[in-house]
Amino acid sequence: MKKRARAMNVFYIPAIILFSVFVIYPLCKGIFLSFTNWNGYSQTYKIVGISNYTRMLTDNNVHRAFINTIIYGVGSTILQNLLGLGLALLLNQKFHGRAVVRTLVYLPVMIAPLIMGYIMYFFFRFNNGALNDVIAIFGREAVDWLADGNRGVTILTLVNSLQFVGISMVIYLAGLQGIPDMYYEAAAIDGVKAGQKFRYITLPLLMPAINSSVTINLIGGLKLFDIIMALTSGGPGYDTHSLSTLVNRTYFGSENAGYASAIGLVSFILIMELSNIVVKAMEKKEVDL
Amino acid sequence: MKIKKIIAAGLTVSMVTVLAACGSDKEAAPSGASDSNQGTEASPGNSDSAKEAQKSSSGSDVTITFATNVVGEKASALEAACKKFEEETGYTVDFQAPGESYEELMKTRMSANELPDVFTTHGWSVARYSDYLMPVNDLPWASDIDEQIKPVITDAEGNMFVLPVDMDIAGIVYNVSVLEEAQVDPDEIKTWDDFSAACEKIKAAGKTPVHIGGKDNWTIGQFFDWAAPSYYVTDAANSQADALKNGTFDTATWEKVAGLLDSWVKAGYLNEDSLTADYNSDIQTLADGTTAFCFYGNSAVVDARGVNADAKIGMIPIPAASAKDEPSLIAGEDIAVGVWKDSPVKNEATELLNYLARPEVTKGIAEAAGCKTGITTAQSEIGEIGTYLEKYADVETFPYFDREYLPSGMWDVMCATGADILAQKDGAIENAAKTMEQNFNDKYTN
Repeated sequence: MKKRARAMNVFYIPAIILFSVFVIYPLCKGIFLSFTNWNGYSQTYKIVGISNYTRMLTDNNVHRAFINTIIYGVGSTILQNLLGLGLALLLNQKFHGRAVVRTLVYLPVMIAPLIMGYIMYFFFRFNNGALNDVIAIFGREAVDWLADGNRGVTILTLVNSLQFVGISMVIYLAGLQGIPDMYYEAAAIDGVKAGQKFRYITLPLLMPAINSSVTINLIGGLKLFDIIMALTSGGPGYDTHSLSTLVNRTYFGSENAGYASAIGLVSFILIMELSNIVVKAMEKKEVDL
Repeated sequence: MKIKKIIAAGLTVSMVTVLAACGSDKEAAPSGASDSNQGTEASPGNSDSAKEAQKSSSGSDVTITFATNVVGEKASALEAACKKFEEETGYTVDFQAPGESYEELMKTRMSANELPDVFTTHGWSVARYSDYLMPVNDLPWASDIDEQIKPVITDAEGNMFVLPVDMDIAGIVYNVSVLEEAQVDPDEIKTWDDFSAACEKIKAAGKTPVHIGGKDNWTIGQFFDWAAPSYYVTDAANSQADALKNGTFDTATWEKVAGLLDSWVKAGYLNEDSLTADYNSDIQTLADGTTAFCFYGNSAVVDARGVNADAKIGMIPIPAASAKDEPSLIAGEDIAVGVWKDSPVKNEATELLNYLARPEVTKGIAEAAGCKTGITTAQSEIGEIGTYLEKYADVETFPYFDREYLPSGMWDVMCATGADILAQKDGAIENAAKTMEQNFNDKYTN
């Protein structure tokens, strides 16, 4: 038996090699670089201790990006799941054109986020933007929608949520179709109202689906990148940057690769911890059929 | 059990082989490869792949990678020249024009010391790329390089590293019709006060005096690159050029530069969407006659003509900060091409450089860019732009401010602090000066 187990261990080697080369090594290198002042391309650098980490404490751009990242992550998760669940409940009913509506809701998922960002730029921009053209019909003055940082963050959260709501919808649809009808039939015999059915049958039995959907949405929102680059480029100034886009700008734009590595590492820990907390909290609420 | 072991061993070997192959996409040079590695210096972090020729350097098997930051008409002209070079020599030129991501890609490749065999240096041949480029002083066309561009591409030891196919002699571009309509005489604009007075007239005529496409951060940096020299270096009596190069940054002067932009925002001289418009809308409005001025080089004229072939676009020198000083022009690299000093096909890459230096080739590319050629053996026909360049031939030229007087990496700081001014954030001017000083000191001492 031991011999067999030893032989089976050989199968781990390819995965371990891949994981080491593409995850462990870059991670270790990133941790090391976060203690240097490397500019990202020169052949030399100095070790600067923890100064990159202490600098983060007083850097307003990092603070702003941190808050934005939480908004993108949590905001998108809430919106996507509420809308996704609502759509799934609706599209789980039988009606004409159900397949078409499902396709339409899922369609934006297939567009690359970068392209989605550019499409939305043409929608929200000040001059000749679709939204301003619409409000002009009602005699209202054009608004520079993306010129305000807070509004920019809200728009980015909305765009991200609407693009990926289809994923939540599909997960919830699968979850809903996995709930045996007998529970609803038993509830109907007992005279249970629709709201109570949802609260005491649908929701508890959907917990595995909610768990998956929340985790996927949260991670996606926390590492939001492409849509920001296409829609606002992180601007005005640094107002709509997420930690991911800030790492990119700090690394390549400001040529502070060491500092960018430190921000990246903090961002990695943040996403990992937040996801862990949420997953564990959701797991506790799961029920067995 | 035996079969499982064999499968496992096979999988492991194939995985290791695949990973090893990931490390290099280049084939080893066969014996008898040309001497293109001669003169290759050992440098820290230099990978062995430089020594492993990427393809046989004999005859038609040679592949030269050519990467450029330019796009559009310029890229097409360069690519066409490379195609003709391929026909003439039988070599293959792998032409890459990744556009906006070029700088990121080049920084990544510099960090790995794995550069393209030939590449354009987008203004940084000396400050950023000189350690990676082969000096060109001994090449046959080096003595023909235009004196106007020579100081920009020469380092302290007198080495030049690029072929300046053309040169970017830039002022402020303007729509002739808009200025005529607003009754502004461009020749009377000598100082920034004159410029502001002109903006007032243009605004009164219902046009946008200055258009900035701040969504593309670099367009904000353009303003500072254009305005800062007039405050820091163009006035010989009060020049801070030496101080900047010796690591001293004067915040009070930067407050004046930032204050100029701030005064325009407050006076309503900029487009309403200066924070969210992009470069394309700058060009669109310049071409369609709704904007008067843009802070771009001559390629903007070519781009504007692409939008509206009938657009009348002119150029004025950059105003001085005081009446005691004279207007100036910016001189910089436009399409400047160099050869990676450790290229495994250095000889062939040098052949390509020599080909691009031929007068008829240089002329064609420079005309596509709307610029003067960088070598005196060729003269580009660039229509009205040429007329303006001739008109201002005696105006003193200065290098791009950030490339010459600021440490590398300051460009992004200029763009970001400028955005705060456009957004009219509290204390934006003082903050801009303070942030510039802090970053200047950090980067200078690194």
